Amino acid sequence: MQHASLEQEAFQDMTALTLDAGLFTSEFRLCDTIAEYLANIVAQSHEDPARYANFSSLVINEIIELAFRSTEPVGRIDIDLLKSETRVRACVAFAFGKDSSTTWATFDRAAAPSRPHPAYDLAALAQAVDVNLFVETRGDDRVTLIADFLVREGTR
Amino acid sequence: MNRLSPSFSADFDDVNQEIVLTGRMRPRSPDEMRGVTDLVRRSLDGSSATVYVNVKRLTHMNMTAFRCLANVLAGACAENPGRMIVIVTSSVITWSAPLFKTLAADQPNLSVEIYDSAFYPGQTFVEDESFIPILRTQTKMTWRHEREILPRHGLREGLTVADICCGIGDFATLIKRHFNPARLVALDHSRKSLEYARRVAADFGLNSIEYTYGDASQMLLADNQFDFVTCRHSLQIFNRPDILLRELYRICKPGGRVYITNEKNSHCLGEPHSETIRWTYEQVARLFSHFDMDVEMGPKSRRLLNDAGFDAIQVESFMVTNLDGDPRDFADVIEAWENVYAGQMAVRRGDPPDFIRRFRQGFRDHVLAALHPKGYAGWPIWAASGRKPY
Repeated sequence: MQHASLEQEAFQDMTALTLDAGLFTSEFRLCDTIAEYLANIVAQSHEDPARYANFSSLVINEIIELAFRSTEPVGRIDIDLLKSETRVRACVAFAFGKDSSTTWATFDRAAAPSRPHPAYDLAALAQAVDVNLFVETRGDDRVTLIADFLVREGTR
Repeated sequence: MNRLSPSFSADFDDVNQEIVLTGRMRPRSPDEMRGVTDLVRRSLDGSSATVYVNVKRLTHMNMTAFRCLANVLAGACAENPGRMIVIVTSSVITWSAPLFKTLAADQPNLSVEIYDSAFYPGQTFVEDESFIPILRTQTKMTWRHEREILPRHGLREGLTVADICCGIGDFATLIKRHFNPARLVALDHSRKSLEYARRVAADFGLNSIEYTYGDASQMLLADNQFDFVTCRHSLQIFNRPDILLRELYRICKPGGRVYITNEKNSHCLGEPHSETIRWTYEQVARLFSHFDMDVEMGPKSRRLLNDAGFDAIQVESFMVTNLDGDPRDFADVIEAWENVYAGQMAVRRGDPPDFIRRFRQGFRDHVLAALHPKGYAGWPIWAASGRKPY
């Protein structure tokens, strides 16, 4: 996982979803539901959409679960899918509590997070399945988790 | 099956020393995994040689579940270094092997295998590319009937349709051309067949068919998606048709219909030489039974659909004959059956030459009946469908 110093690439909006954080954290099953919904959109240009949706939902679900476990129950969760020539980018932004500001803001740019960092499992998963993952902090209370997927086969 | 939650389950088969994990394993907390981890721990404690952890049908997983399993497996590896743990993943689920291989990196007595050839034990007999023309001819012969039958079972234009176990995709192509579905998904577990299907569809300019590589007994398709689900000539070659039907039911919308076709091989017939033909096809049924396949399934369709929870069940049968189109087509199909059934399956069963010679004669007489100017040859098929209740 890296802090976002994201390269300049033209991305277009695909999907934007804004949820009230209180509503979102009231029901864990929403993580699975939202992940499946987004994964189907991510996979729509693939030769085998069902399989790529299954693959991408693994990582998207983990990001959304991390937001579920880490967010403050106030404010909003912003979920965006963006598309470039080669990639579909999933972004999930949420507010973290003051207690967690050091955890997220001083995130090590070079190394994978270690336990008990909340993103430890997500980073390990992304590395295992070869998905690029980024983290971007804004101010001292908001973080965006970003994962890049192939827009279609053979575009890496 | 030890069902631990509505979405995932774990079971231990002590004969095969296999722990089977199935379903969508996305628990909120480790507490929800306790049933699974307890079963895995108990199963490993009672085993001393090699234990298999089958995750082929574990379609979804979160890291909460993965860490729980990882901890149990790592503990078991450390406690008993002489025992091998083999995690068996599926090539259908692309994340499964890479994720579980992260465990193998730290544990010398844990390995990961990718496995998919045993979804349908008998299917290997018809996966050879040389069989493709015969499959196409079979579909051409049955389509003459099914084109008329399908609307009676509810297929009409504009529906969302799934063709499960689509093989080389020729039936899906015909559905697309004649019934123009709003969406058409075609699933099979043979990569070769799907490559062929994609090529043929592209040649006909049919770009909207979604072909997907998958295991029909644990599909990656979501619940309640399709108005009409077809599964032709496949339940009969799967050793657990109830599992397939459960999946067909799951992906079908309430009010939608699942359409299946199956044969009763012992009722294949012909004149002249009806006795040798009858004997041979009775042996065909026994031969398939030896390989855990039931090519006598056709008349059982009503019971199978009923047991799977469908209502408004319709069943009809039709006879493909040498009088449908070119008799040479029928003869070609019979010759292909002879090659596979007598030339491969009977040999693999270990049948003696005398048996195989007599076995082949019935096919040859069937060919003769098909081509004889006064002959008649038939292949009976049962088409059935059931509605998923609202």
